[in-house]
Formats: sequence, C-alpha cells, structure tokens
Amino acid sequence: MESFFVRYRNLVVLLAVLLAQIIGLAVQVRRIGDGRGKLDPGDGPGVRLIRLWANALVSPAERAIHGSKLGIGGLWQNYIDLRHVREQNQELQKTIDRLRLEQASMLEDARQGQRLQGLIGFQEKYIYKTVAAQVFGSSGSDQSRVFYIDKGAGEGLDRDMAVITPDGIVGKVRDVFPHSSQVLAINDPTSGAGVILGTTRIRGILRGNAAGQPEIVGILADNRIQPGERVLTSGGDQIFPRGLPVGTVEKVVRDPERDGFIIVAVKSSAHLDRLDEVLVVTSTEPRFSPADQHEIATSETLKGPEAAAIHDEQVREQQARDQQKASEMMAEHLPGLIDPNLPPDQQPLHDSSNPNPVTNPPRALHPDRFTPGIADGTTATDSTAPQEQTPKAAPEGKHPGQIGGSGKPSEKPTAKPASSAPAKAGQSNTPRRNP
Amino acid sequence: MAVLSATYRRDLEIRRYPSLVYGLVPLVALVLQAWLPRVLGRFAWFDLPLVVTVYFALGRRSPIQGTFMGASMGLFEDALSHHAIGVNGIAKTVVGFLAASVGVRIDVENFTVRLLLSFLLSILASVIYVFVYRFLLGMELEWSWLIELFKAIGNSVIAVLTFPLLDRLQIRD
Repeated sequence: MESFFVRYRNLVVLLAVLLAQIIGLAVQVRRIGDGRGKLDPGDGPGVRLIRLWANALVSPAERAIHGSKLGIGGLWQNYIDLRHVREQNQELQKTIDRLRLEQASMLEDARQGQRLQGLIGFQEKYIYKTVAAQVFGSSGSDQSRVFYIDKGAGEGLDRDMAVITPDGIVGKVRDVFPHSSQVLAINDPTSGAGVILGTTRIRGILRGNAAGQPEIVGILADNRIQPGERVLTSGGDQIFPRGLPVGTVEKVVRDPERDGFIIVAVKSSAHLDRLDEVLVVTSTEPRFSPADQHEIATSETLKGPEAAAIHDEQVREQQARDQQKASEMMAEHLPGLIDPNLPPDQQPLHDSSNPNPVTNPPRALHPDRFTPGIADGTTATDSTAPQEQTPKAAPEGKHPGQIGGSGKPSEKPTAKPASSAPAKAGQSNTPRRNP
Repeated sequence: MAVLSATYRRDLEIRRYPSLVYGLVPLVALVLQAWLPRVLGRFAWFDLPLVVTVYFALGRRSPIQGTFMGASMGLFEDALSHHAIGVNGIAKTVVGFLAASVGVRIDVENFTVRLLLSFLLSILASVIYVFVYRFLLGMELEWSWLIELFKAIGNSVIAVLTFPLLDRLQIRD
C-alpha cells in the first residue's frame, strides 16, 4: 500500500488537490429548479476570507502602480522609446524629454482636474449622498467584468450600492473590503439593472453579453423601439435610483433563444472601459443643499399664516354670499312693507289689519354673529357698528334689526339719504311684492 | 538503467531559484494581470499567471510542485474575480501538473517547444475552464473560442519573451 502511494504520489497529490477544489466549488454553487447551477451571491466566510487575502495581496501593489504612474507605459516612454533618440542628441533630448514629461504630467493633471471638477459638480448637485472613488484595478479576466475602487467599508460603502458617473450608471458594489471594494460592471453577463426606455416607456433588464456590451433582454418584439432612444434606470431593482442615464439604443435584434422576444443592444453612456473616477451612491435619502433647505424652511414657515389668511378670506366670502342669498329669499317671501302705488297713509305699515305688524324685534340677551343686524366682524354689544358701515341707512337710535330686516345692512349701502328707516330698508333691498 | 539515467538527467536539469523569486514573480504576474487590462482594455489577450505556472512547472520538473503552483495561481485569480473560487484553480492545477510531467521528458530549452507548449497548455486551460464552468457546475458562461485562441497566442508570445528573462534569475552552480 505504501509503495502504491510512493509510486503514484504525483497522481495522488493531483487528485487530492482537484478533489479539494471540486468540493470547494460544490459548496459555493447550488442547483436551482431547472437543473442549472447558480453561484451563491453571498460569499461564505471561507470564500470571503480567500477573496480578502487575494485582495490584500494584490491591491497594494496595484494601487502603488496606479498611484505612481510607473506602469508599462511609463517604462516605454521613459526608456525604450527614447533610447535611440538619446544616442543622437543626448543633452538636447534630455531637455525635450523633461519638458515633454512635465507637459504630459501637467496635461494629465489638468484633465484629471477637469474630470474631478465635473465629478464634484455633479456630486454637489446630485440629490443623493455619494462618495467619490478612484478605479485602480480589474479582475484581469474578460469573463469577469469587475473592477476595484479605492474606497471600502471604512468609507461607508456597502454591498449593492450603485456606482455611477455623471455620464451614467457604471455598476454596483459587489464586495466590500476595509479600504477597497469590488464593483460589478453593468456589462457583465451576471449583472442586472432595471431600465426603462425613455420614449416608449418599455421596461426591461439590462445585462452584458459575451462581448461586454450592455443589452436589454426580456422585451417582446416592438416596432416602436428605434436606435437612438434613451435608456434610463427604472428604479425597480432597488439599487440604482430612478431616472439615471444608462445609454442609448444602438440596435434591436431578435432573441435567437426566445421567439417573439428581442434584444436591445445599448451603447452605454458611461465609458465602461475607461473609468478613472466614479461615484458610489451611499444613501438614497434625498439630500438638499443649505440654500434648498433654507427655501424649504421659509416655505414651511410662510405656508401656515398664508394658508390661514386665504382660508379666512374664503370663509368670509362664503358667509357674505350666504347672507346675501338669505336676504333675497326673505325679501321674496315676507309681506311687503311699502307699496309704491299707495299713498303714505295707506301703506301696509300703518294698516292695523295687517296680520304681520312690524314690531321691533326683542333685543337679544346674548347676541352673537347670527343676531340680525350684527355685521360680521363686529361685537354684538356694539349697536353702532351697522350704523358705521351704513351711516345713511340706519338712523340714530334705531336698533340694527330694524334696518330692512334683511340682517345684512352693510351689504348694499344706499347712495341717497332716506327719509325714514323703513323706506330706506325697502329701497335698499330687492323689489318686494305686496301681500 | 534507463530509469536511472532518466532520474539522473532529471536531477541534473532541475532549476533552482532564490526564494524571493518564487514569491515575487507570481505576485507580479497576478498584479499585472489585474492591472494591465485597465490599460489595454479588451485587447488584454494573455494570462500571465498561466505563463508563470507553465514556466516554473517546466523548470522545476516536479509534478507536485507544478500542481500546487497552478492551484495557488488559479485560486488567486478566482478570488480576484466574482466567479466561484476553484474554476481557474482546477484548470491551472492540471496545466501545472502536465507541464511538469512534460518537462521531465522533453527538452524545454528549445524555442519552438516553449512556444508550442505554452499555446497548447493555454488552450487546454481554456477547455478545462469551460468544461468545469458549464458542465461540472452547470452554470451559464458566455465565451468565445476566438478570444481563447487569441489568448493562447498571446500567452505563447509572452512565454517566448519572458522565459529567457526568467532563466537569468535561476541559481547556477
């Protein structure tokens, strides 16, 4: 038995290593209903530990390369490409090289400054809270379109946070490390974002294809979808806020796997292959600038008194209309006090046979605003109030209730002085019918 | 006698490197593999960890060491992606084992042999990757044979260029 292991130890080690990895895969991948495998989106503790180690091992070096700009490009520019020129005119070329490098560096700095300026401008105006981050690495595989940013859990980032640029959405945070994060780009086949077409309002799911181009799947064939139509986030995925630009429709092709369905290829608004700075949406609670907050507070403060004033005005107008209507109805139904066709001594006012003689109404013990003759806004005890409002309609010493009996002496003040209060009352109201 | 001579030849040609090289070269390969696609975009048709695995497996001529080298490189690559950890690991484990096994039997100093070996092992790694992903795990994977072919060519070119440079790092008696 021992000789077997010694003789085939290479194969035994190979099989053991393979078996261990297969078991590891079996732990991570589970079967779903239709027999296909599906990667568990949440890494287990062991898997996460391995990713953490790999990230801790590779990220510092990657960040160092990115930060110092001493990549292959720099090596090429500074040494290999200039070697031949340096031989021809070393001193002169050194000067030119230095100037070129400085210029390139300044140009790069200026471009970066412009990008950052745009990013900060967008960040300040954007309603949600965001964190700016710099892209410094990728997965290194064209089958895994993820990249790394230099912000992590320490800066408040968390899984499934939206990653955007001022141009459009970029991806979502897939994994978070202490000071870096892994972002799954929208052009990865395993990504998914709820989108809506700007004009036709058709909804779909955005994901990447094998070539790394975003496309919308799951859409029934529709002739209205035309190239050039804008694509926006729908907000249905609970990750990307609604209304963010995604891209434009590039072309529409039939889905080869599903009859009646189409695939809408999308040209991404964000430059997914040239990302340098991105924004991570850390909170979807609306955030207002100090100026906006001041305006909102002012509006809230003014809203109460203004609303109350408008309401009071409406109530007053309504009461006035009601009183006017009531006086007109009473004038129509009550017997007339003055008949213009009769001489003054035969007026119904002096007719003792009148079944409804005019008498002074008893004075209210506790007058209120419904008491006849009390105008709105005056106190019941202030018997002069109607007189003040209609000084020519109410003679001195008369009770307000005597004035026309309409209960609204101030509504229609007469222009001419009246000889008597009843006559005045009869003229100031609508024409009356004799009984 | 033949076995003895083979063992003797194997022992004679085993390459040894400073310990630092075993740690730094794979690390540099992993870092560059993660960083260069940002510079080259979709034209990053190479797999530096695979090239390094093949190089050390061929040089050391130990299938066990090749196995572990391939497994560790593959697992690190998987850990940097969002895929299941182990797919690349399995592919590179087999590649490391086979490269070391082949290295025992043939002369790996030859330019053409290195070119062909790198190309074939790259194709094999891609095949194993797709096999494990689609058939063993039953997961959907969108891939293109053309890109895998370009990647194999890229790996071969890089191998031809970098193997002589790495040869200079070995300890010579």
